Amino acid sequence: MVELSTIPEQTKQQIEQIRTVDLVIGLVDEDAGQTMTRIAEVVREGLARLTKSVRAVVLHQDAGANAGTALQNGLEDESLRFLSYAPAPAHRSIMLVESIVAAYRSIGEISHKLGAKASVVVASSPEGLTAEWIYGLAQPILERDLDLAAPCYAPNKFEGLLNSAILYPTSRALYGKRVVNPLGPDFGFSSRLLQSVLLDSWARGPGARLPLVAPEAVLRGLKVCQAHIGKRIYPPLDWKNLDSILAEVLDPFFLGIERDAAFWQHIRSSEPVPSFGDSLPWTEESVPVDTRRLLEPFKLGFRNLREIWSLVLPPSALLELTKADRLPPEQFRIPDELWTSIIYDFALAYHLRTIGRDHLLRALTPLYLGWSASYAIEVETLGGAAVQRRLERLCIAYENRKPYLVSRWRWPDRFNP
Amino acid sequence: MWNQIRQALNESTSRVIKQIANLLPGIAALIVALLVAGILAWIITFLLRRSLRRIHFDERLSTWGLQSLAHWSASETPTVLVTRVVWWIIMLVGFLIGISAFDATLTPRFFERLFGYLPNVFAALILLFAGNMAARFLSRSVLIGAVNMNLQYARLLSAGVKWMVLVLTLAMVLDHLSIGGHIVYLAFAILFGGIVLALSIAVGLGSKDLISRSLEREASRSNEEIESPFRHL
Repeated sequence: MVELSTIPEQTKQQIEQIRTVDLVIGLVDEDAGQTMTRIAEVVREGLARLTKSVRAVVLHQDAGANAGTALQNGLEDESLRFLSYAPAPAHRSIMLVESIVAAYRSIGEISHKLGAKASVVVASSPEGLTAEWIYGLAQPILERDLDLAAPCYAPNKFEGLLNSAILYPTSRALYGKRVVNPLGPDFGFSSRLLQSVLLDSWARGPGARLPLVAPEAVLRGLKVCQAHIGKRIYPPLDWKNLDSILAEVLDPFFLGIERDAAFWQHIRSSEPVPSFGDSLPWTEESVPVDTRRLLEPFKLGFRNLREIWSLVLPPSALLELTKADRLPPEQFRIPDELWTSIIYDFALAYHLRTIGRDHLLRALTPLYLGWSASYAIEVETLGGAAVQRRLERLCIAYENRKPYLVSRWRWPDRFNP
Repeated sequence: MWNQIRQALNESTSRVIKQIANLLPGIAALIVALLVAGILAWIITFLLRRSLRRIHFDERLSTWGLQSLAHWSASETPTVLVTRVVWWIIMLVGFLIGISAFDATLTPRFFERLFGYLPNVFAALILLFAGNMAARFLSRSVLIGAVNMNLQYARLLSAGVKWMVLVLTLAMVLDHLSIGGHIVYLAFAILFGGIVLALSIAVGLGSKDLISRSLEREASRSNEEIESPFRHL
């Protein structure tokens, strides 16, 4: 049963009037309401590229002060309407994930209520929103009968590091589909996916966990693709709370791995998913890189958290980390085999509850920053193609190392030197 | 003379045997009570475990926002913890029923005092267990948090928190056992007061330069971060 709990009364009445639409476009950013004129232009341009005309609704967060602004400005017509939903009670930085989850939920509920065939959720900053985003994420659902359009952003070697280091290679190795951004956060999805993945998981409880959209779609045999949509503007984050953000993102990710163990143990290799749109070139900007900020926490963690790591990692991994710690900064490296083992061992420890799950995820932060330092030192002078090959090597290392995870998952008590 | 000694020995032997014989029903009752409680506990915990697994208790606990409760014992799931607690409660009730069978044979005053003191012992044991768990949990939380905040003295902070909690626990345990009386209060107050005073003086006088340098470093880092090319999420 869908509860429109966070929807203003006025919006509920508008939903009753509109009845049904083809497409719902949900904007997660709380400031989106202020740039509605530009967003309306972009949305119209994106929708005009579709072969058939569609009736669409744009959802934006609005506390009530801007309610009716779109109507007053004459932005609305029969094919495009604007509705608002109550902002999530959270703010940037540590509450970022929580606010995204709350917005996803509101947008999903309204989309379901409106019986939309497709929904597009834009969780990134609307400043970077272009017609390509709307078309790229909506077209595969509306015109190709696919269930999920995951985003492919213009690549940059230092952006989306958590995705490059853990989320993409792990989900690719485990679920067998090469969805570059498995956790979005921007998506286009069908009513089938909304019903079977999102509404189903929200109905199970009021938890504020990030939905694993792409892995769950793969798990349920839904049709997945990805769309090259352009450059993403990454939100400013409070890096002092990196451990909290890491825990908020990796908690549902590892939970999904635990839940889907019976599925991924039978996946042997990965395959690409259909991609639409023109892939954008790598950003070749030359920026000075200071890896001290990444290396210091790793070295501090190595000095202080070795006891905790030793509960999770086998002695051979600790030995490798000791060797890495002794290297001079410019030669610092965490080999791919070691990094993949670390992630798989942490996923296993999460499953076995070797230590408290929150502690476990936060204890991974210095190791993750160590990997980031190693990667940054390695790719600092490399061009886009070389960086792509470097990341592909990491993904292959994850796939090659998967039997280790399967073996340890099945027989965790077996001797592991 | 010899007859009198023999008679006294016979009487004392028969008295002791009679007393042991008087105790036997109580011991048998205790064993039976424990056996019955054990069987009952096994059946109830078996049913409870199955029911909790069927309603996905572990997952629900985390969706209810009680993840931290589940983290208190890392190696066991909340379901196992709940069933174990229920098992011990039933066994304890069985033990108390068994013990009460001795009422008729042992001095009521002894039992009165023993039972009067038992709640304190149990409360002290629970306090000791909870305090130990809390000390471990908090010291690990502080250690990981301090490392992630890039504090060089993370281990010192963690050890400090651990010993503070342990000392507090010990003082509470002794208070519950009524051991030491006012000495515990005084010692605890002096110890804690001393620690706080020492820290205040150290921070206020000796370490002010260190603190200001540390704060300046953190402030300059915040500016660096804005220009950092790294985007993690």
